[in-house]
Amino acid sequence: MTPLGRMILRRLLWVFPVAFGVVTLTFFMARVFNGDPTELYAPPEATDALRAQIRARLGLADPLPVQYLHYLADLLRFDLGTSFTTGQSVASDLWDRLPATLELGLVGLTLGITVGIPIGVIAAVYRERWPDFLLRGVTLSGMALPQFWIGLVLIWIFFVSLGWFPGPVGRLPIGVALPPKVTGFLLIDTLIAGKPALWWLALKQLALPAITLGFSSAAPIARVTRAAMVEAMQSDYIRTAVAMGHGNRIVWFRYSLRNALLPVVTLIGGVAGHIFAGAVLLESIFAWPGLGQYALQAIERSDFAALQGFVIYASLLYVLAFLTVDLLYMLIDPRMRTP
Amino acid sequence: MSRHDLLAADAVAPAEAKPAKARRRLRTTWSLRIGVVVLALYIAVALLSLVWTPYDPLTPGVGDGYDAPSWAFLLGTDRLGSDMLSRLMMGARYDLGIALTAVAIASIVGTTLGTIAGYYGGVVDTVALRTVEIFQAFPGLLFAMLVVQAVGAGLVNVILVLSFVGIPDYLRLARAEIHAKKSWQYAEAARMVGNPPWRVAFRHLLPNSVGPVLAFTSINAAFAALITASLGFLGLGLPPNTPEWGNMIARGQDGVMTGQWWVSFFPGLAILGLTGAFYLMGDALADLTDPRRRR
Repeated sequence: MTPLGRMILRRLLWVFPVAFGVVTLTFFMARVFNGDPTELYAPPEATDALRAQIRARLGLADPLPVQYLHYLADLLRFDLGTSFTTGQSVASDLWDRLPATLELGLVGLTLGITVGIPIGVIAAVYRERWPDFLLRGVTLSGMALPQFWIGLVLIWIFFVSLGWFPGPVGRLPIGVALPPKVTGFLLIDTLIAGKPALWWLALKQLALPAITLGFSSAAPIARVTRAAMVEAMQSDYIRTAVAMGHGNRIVWFRYSLRNALLPVVTLIGGVAGHIFAGAVLLESIFAWPGLGQYALQAIERSDFAALQGFVIYASLLYVLAFLTVDLLYMLIDPRMRTP
Repeated sequence: MSRHDLLAADAVAPAEAKPAKARRRLRTTWSLRIGVVVLALYIAVALLSLVWTPYDPLTPGVGDGYDAPSWAFLLGTDRLGSDMLSRLMMGARYDLGIALTAVAIASIVGTTLGTIAGYYGGVVDTVALRTVEIFQAFPGLLFAMLVVQAVGAGLVNVILVLSFVGIPDYLRLARAEIHAKKSWQYAEAARMVGNPPWRVAFRHLLPNSVGPVLAFTSINAAFAALITASLGFLGLGLPPNTPEWGNMIARGQDGVMTGQWWVSFFPGLAILGLTGAFYLMGDALADLTDPRRRR
């Protein structure tokens, strides 16, 4: 096996101890602290016998260590258990909600990268002059403001005041039927179904949450890009390139930016991990039926299996995000390709 | 380009580098100044709110519900008719106090653990790093939500959860610094004259490694303030009528839909000022404490 293949394999295997630790932590934290959620699911007039029956149905009758072993045994068969609230298997719940989160996250992250990197480059090129100060102010506020507040303000301006965008009611306006599910991404499924009008509706619903996500992820990307660009532009090879008479555009984009990309890629990995692990509050503001809302509901209703399932998904995603970062490094930095 | 030009450019370069350096130091001090001034302002407001606010922040009905900003109510009133300005002033106590206390606890505990892990190495180090890795695979906000929901609402619980979320970062920072420096000559010398290990670690190595940790406290305070606001927005953590800013934004959420924007808008600006000041200070401190960036 090539060294590269071995590295990927090792990193993928690292998922298991992390997931195991995270699951164990969640399992005991949720149960020890939260106590018995039977009350949430039993009618107030329930007799003790009925309560015991419900408790057994929820799988809470056994002592904790037994419950834990049961859960691990199920997990080995890729069975994440059954959600108390939806009554369905957690795996299928997560699978149903995944496309909503991924679609919003991908569009938001793409916005963040395509806006953030150029802003960082411009700020570095004009460093210590007014465009730099202006852009630094904007990016600072993008990091310092809570995401849910940005979302609310966008709703206030573009929905309530100007009426340019639809209200925060989820992926499609109320009463509009979803297109038949193929990929789960509405922007693709509507086209497959041959309904451009529906595509336009879905895009308008997506716009405000995606812009919010884009703004708050562009901010850190722009800051790191600026810092790395400034450092690269002070280096000897850039001075040489300038001295040899290369034009600004080649110096900025081909030499400086490529060398400045490493820290930016690392950061984007982290940002992506955050976004796809569910922008919990953002989804709740825009009534977006994604994984973040599912997790929020699971916490509020002490829905143990659902919560654990989500946490496994999120930690898996973090590990994958950082693995992708390492692979991108090799693409960008030739030094890392030689063993 | 002739050889003469290249030489000339070389001769000019140091002269050009100087003002750039001076400008850089200037910017650093300016962001530090702005950050410190804004933070001082927030502290002053928080203290002032102990003795004076325009109206009683916790009493509903001092105005009608949803009064627009006016001379009587500078920032308007919320749905229950409480004065927004008074509530914002009192809120400074919560958001600032929680962030500062949580950061103090997290930095002390995390740095201590990190110093131990970095100096002693071996099993202690491995166990610490692996544990930290697991905690960091856990989304921070989700962790805070889970614990606060579980252990119950209350100021102390919120502070403890936020400090806990911060500990891994300090542990890693301090551990990396100490680990890199423990075989330097001055550490070796300190050991040779008979200092016990804890003394070498905490009296000799730690003070020399505290720069990055210090710079991080400021960034960490910004995170802590944002998570506090997020918890407040979800209604987790503090009692419902607490004028914590995230809580206030949540209370104004319905108003945003019907045009009463000010109830949610102003608390967001308050958060922006506080976290922005922390970020500015963190930037400046990182510049000052990192010799590579000071260059």
